[in-house]
Amino acid sequence: MRIFTGQRAFVLQRISALVLLACLTAMALRLAIGPPVTFAQWQTWMAQPLAASALLLVAAALFIHAWVGMRDVVLDYVQPLALRLTVMALVAAGLSVLAAWTGFIVLAHAL
Amino acid sequence: MRFKVYRFDPERHTKPQWQSYDLRLEPSDRMVLDALVRLKAQDDSIAFRRSCREGVCGSDAMNINGRNALACITRLADLAEPVTLAPLPSFPVIRDLIVDMTQFFAHYHAIKPYVTNDEPPPERERLQSPEERDRLNGLYECILCACCTSFCPPSWWNPDKYLGPAALLQAQRFIVDSRDRAAPQRLDFLDDVYKLYRCRTIMNCAEVCPKDLNPAQAIERIKIALLRRSA
Repeated sequence: MRIFTGQRAFVLQRISALVLLACLTAMALRLAIGPPVTFAQWQTWMAQPLAASALLLVAAALFIHAWVGMRDVVLDYVQPLALRLTVMALVAAGLSVLAAWTGFIVLAHAL
Repeated sequence: MRFKVYRFDPERHTKPQWQSYDLRLEPSDRMVLDALVRLKAQDDSIAFRRSCREGVCGSDAMNINGRNALACITRLADLAEPVTLAPLPSFPVIRDLIVDMTQFFAHYHAIKPYVTNDEPPPERERLQSPEERDRLNGLYECILCACCTSFCPPSWWNPDKYLGPAALLQAQRFIVDSRDRAAPQRLDFLDDVYKLYRCRTIMNCAEVCPKDLNPAQAIERIKIALLRRSA
């Protein structure tokens, strides 16, 4: 697969969408069956390896999907190269910080 | 019937304007093109393209009540008044309802819209099986009216770089043609972040195509062909 042709973004967008659909449906069903009510119950649920893994997977898929979407918006609307690179760097940095923060929260409860 | 027509003559106007007309139609006037011809008799300064007047040549593509269509096959009885007639959106206007299609045809030429086959020609024609011929259905019927490309948001954003639905539909038409031998080169050419991958499957192209074709589906099939090739 060639990297800079748009194909990788096309594939990542579709795979991440499928992961989000599967994981969010499974998590919604799980929460519908027996939703945690108290804060302690939420912490216990998030500490379970399966829930923590699913949350990490959802977060990864969400950030990849968001990156492809934002990249597409920048490619379409921001034409000057310097401004485009700046905006893309800012989006990448913002998404990376959010991803790291999400991972830290999930892992802090699970480990 | 009331009409509101986009008027712009770069030699006389600094900016476009809307002109209203009240037109008395005859019972034989059924399509928008009939009304335009009658309007032209009333005001011969109105400029528009038309040729076959039966939905085959694609010359009279325009924006009718906010939607791209062919004037010759759009029924007046289906339209709300005042009927607004404007040139194809996003294309440079030459005059009134006539647009400059240079960029559109440059993209069309870029996909090499002809069968490429360097093998020695057979004694008679290059035969196709019925199944091979069926693969061209839904692709070969395009009349290049530009209704789709002009109504495609990614074409608005990157008109010079994104090939647009009409050119990509034609590209798929030659990729799947059993007589063509240049599919790998065609796919190489299309494998580009702008030429092909700007399509977001918004599907305005399929929505407005006067021949009921589905360029978005053709584009998706090119992407899948590229994916299969690189897998």
